[in-house]
Amino acid sequence: MFAKCSFLLIVIAASSLQVFGQAAPNTAAIPATTSAINSAQPLSQRIVAYDIDAKYDAKSHSLDGAETLTYHNTTGQPLDTFPFHLYLNGFQPKATWVREAKQNGTRDETLDKWETKYYGLDEIKSFEVLGQGDLTSQLQFIQPDDGNKDDHTVVQVHLPKPIPPNGFVQFKIKFRDQFPETLARTGWKRDFLLAGQWFPKVGVWWHGAWNCHQFHGTTEFFADFGVYDVKVTVPQTEVVGATGVEVSNINNPDGTKTLTYHGDDIHDFAWTASPHYKILEDEFQGSMGPVKLNVMMQPAHWSQAERHARVLKETLDHFERWYGPYPYKTLTLVDPEVGSAAGGMEYPTFITGETNWWMPGGLLLPELVVEHEFGHQYWYGMVATNEFEDAWMDEGINSYTEVQVLDSIAGPNTSILNQWGITAGERELQRQGYIGVADLDPIAQDAWKYFSFNSYGGITYGKTASVLLTLEGIIGEDTMQKAMHTYFMRYRFTHPTKEDFLKTVEEVSGKDLRWYFNQAIYGTQVLNYEVLRTDSSPVDWYKKEFKEKKGETEYESNVWIHRKDDFIFPIDIEVKFDNGEKVRERWNGQSRWIRYSYQKKAKLESVEIDPDSKILLDRNNFNNSHTDKANSAPVRKLANYWTFITQFLAQMLAWWMV
Amino acid sequence: MSEKKSLLSAGAKIAGRNKRYVIWFYLLNLTLASFGAAAFRNQAHAILDHSLYADKLLHGFHLIVLLELLARPDFGPTNASTMPAFYFALLFFLATMLFLPGVLLGYASDHRLPRYEFYRTCGQNIWRFVRLFLFFVIIAGPITGILGAAKNALAKAADQTSNERLPFFTQLVCLIIIFLVLTAIRIWFDLAQTRVVIRDEGKVRKSIAAAYRSMKHQRVRLLGSYVLIAFLAVIALIVGIWIWIKIVPAASVLGAFIVGQVILLVWLAARFWQRACAVAFYLEYENETPVETLSVPETVAPIMPGAQPSPAV
Repeated sequence: MFAKCSFLLIVIAASSLQVFGQAAPNTAAIPATTSAINSAQPLSQRIVAYDIDAKYDAKSHSLDGAETLTYHNTTGQPLDTFPFHLYLNGFQPKATWVREAKQNGTRDETLDKWETKYYGLDEIKSFEVLGQGDLTSQLQFIQPDDGNKDDHTVVQVHLPKPIPPNGFVQFKIKFRDQFPETLARTGWKRDFLLAGQWFPKVGVWWHGAWNCHQFHGTTEFFADFGVYDVKVTVPQTEVVGATGVEVSNINNPDGTKTLTYHGDDIHDFAWTASPHYKILEDEFQGSMGPVKLNVMMQPAHWSQAERHARVLKETLDHFERWYGPYPYKTLTLVDPEVGSAAGGMEYPTFITGETNWWMPGGLLLPELVVEHEFGHQYWYGMVATNEFEDAWMDEGINSYTEVQVLDSIAGPNTSILNQWGITAGERELQRQGYIGVADLDPIAQDAWKYFSFNSYGGITYGKTASVLLTLEGIIGEDTMQKAMHTYFMRYRFTHPTKEDFLKTVEEVSGKDLRWYFNQAIYGTQVLNYEVLRTDSSPVDWYKKEFKEKKGETEYESNVWIHRKDDFIFPIDIEVKFDNGEKVRERWNGQSRWIRYSYQKKAKLESVEIDPDSKILLDRNNFNNSHTDKANSAPVRKLANYWTFITQFLAQMLAWWMV
Repeated sequence: MSEKKSLLSAGAKIAGRNKRYVIWFYLLNLTLASFGAAAFRNQAHAILDHSLYADKLLHGFHLIVLLELLARPDFGPTNASTMPAFYFALLFFLATMLFLPGVLLGYASDHRLPRYEFYRTCGQNIWRFVRLFLFFVIIAGPITGILGAAKNALAKAADQTSNERLPFFTQLVCLIIIFLVLTAIRIWFDLAQTRVVIRDEGKVRKSIAAAYRSMKHQRVRLLGSYVLIAFLAVIALIVGIWIWIKIVPAASVLGAFIVGQVILLVWLAARFWQRACAVAFYLEYENETPVETLSVPETVAPIMPGAQPSPAV
């Protein structure tokens, strides 16, 4: 029996090797290295291992690369098809990215005119599968999202022999990149390079299917965790920074140098090169170990290096205390070339900031960008949501934590601007982004399906932040923080879905919040309450001898509150009387309007909806209150500014023309 | 330096003696701008007067709240308030063109100009000033265009380098050059206007040519005076705005109004000072050079040493 079984097993094993192709753990496996993290054990389920050798030609902004990708089939089923992202091909005139960017706008440059310098290319020169031969001729471009045949951002290969469950496959890919002058995120500007999304990158097997979307004007990225070993060869004059830890830096006889980097438990790799960088090295003592901070500044911004390092450390500190530990050994902050459209971007352990040489101290835009991009180390880097389909889960949740952190660092009303008496807070800024596009798109939507780039930005960033800030008002600030911490700790190094997040909040708060999520996350309902009318009249108004006397005359006061739009939300209302008395009401908002009546020896002074300013989602804050007496001082103040500007312009016109 | 000083002080004396013109123009400027701001005021009243949220605009200046106000559909389109402001600014420009001849004659007089004389001069020079304006546009327009294009080209070239400050300073230097060139053209036409009014010169081209000749001889002195006055005006503007921001309480509408208006009054006075310098220069220059055979209005005679009274106007 045993002999028969053994024989059968040998036959099955032999045939499965033939059917499933190479499954050779000796030659192909994912390394269990931990040299780039402050942990003795790997932190993620490592699906991929990229080993890349890249030579960059700074003159032509091109790169020749050799990539060995080891993929671990953890899908539980045999895989014979593998899709790969070739993101740089998005920067071609007929590609979907350019088409959408032209139509709807982009985060950076306007595309009024196409120029050859914008051309990007990620060309596979050869494609070999270990044990299955050269499959270059089998590669096929696919367009799963829009069928645009001119879009070459996803390529697919069909393997003759499937990869069995728990098997490994190794791809050996030779490729050539042509970097564009940066239109968004990646490319060159003058002698600067930011190499992002620059190598063929396998899709993610997610919920029983490959998830490998085309590159769109609004979308970002999605990839599996793994290990990266990358060699970059550049001219010796270049100063280089990259994802992960630097392993070696060797000068070559031909005037180039080769830098080697290693990254653990990450899902992307980016690097930058410029002859001009000045580097500030710093360290943050994290809860899992020290984090080496490299702040790579443009020479003209060197005076702001400390400013960048300071906000980076403050942000790290807040994230560690509020959400969870930062486990990586490095964090590189890059201040990219001005005008490069590469600022404000996140990659694992590598972020880009944005500033100018004249940046005043009271304008906290560098702080905003650094905080935001660092936040992505958590909401994208570790909690690796699908940025194509759930952009709100990285950008939106990150915008929410950005408000919290910046409020804590720089004050709620001054976290963006506090200069020359003018102030602006991040909280209001996020809300402002949303209210202009409030009814156009839901939050839960594929990122490339938004009405416009403004709508994508306003909803994904602004609305999500406002929804979560409003949620704080429902479940309490402490509970919300606890929910965020739980969500991070539970889903770090995984790919959670929107329901994973929403259910975590419900679980931690112990509340059924579907009524809210259905409207705020899944719906396009607009929240807008107003004080529709107020009225305060003496009860004895009809009597001939009647005379009003403060404190003695009895008034009947009425207040009408109106739900103007379709978002139903319970609200608090504060009614104030001229004797100082305050009355609080709570309305569930179910009906279209409600009236509150009072009979008191005091006249109505003011009515205010949401007196504690907990509802960030209300589209119009001006109609949330009504005072009995008009106060024209704000208008006079603004009109004074307006008059001043008009006078000045009139004088300037007359000064030069007559 | 002493010459420049004397021109500045001569101009200051003339402008100081005729303060009323600055005051009248200032009042006109304020009145028109108030009309120009009326639409904005009306749009804002309906939203802000009974709203507690408006308090954020009074006690401090919350930029986002202002943007939210301007974006409100019930506030109306922003051009509903910007266009009236533009129209009233244009009206002030036209009013300046209309009344400037009277001012120049007043500056050239050693006595207070009778009202009828002021208006008569204004009326008499309307078409001449329109023509001067057209000539100014014909000359200054292309020059500004060429200089602007050169500025853009240089800035673009500077942008190719990695020196981030270079494009900015290139633009700054170019703007200073444009400012100086335009100031020189302005001086030229200020002198031409002065000549047209004082000589009652109907042929404006002749005045433009003569003004060019006179300016050419002492361009550094004139340019120096104009630039110095403009520099003082900019300093006054900066100091005024600093006081506005740092000293005036955010909620003090009256305080902000007073500071703002003082700035504008000083700014306007600076321009009138420049014009007074042009008049002083013209009078001095004409004294030193042979007087052309041109008729001069009777009313102007007392301030024209050496000039012959005209037989009839």
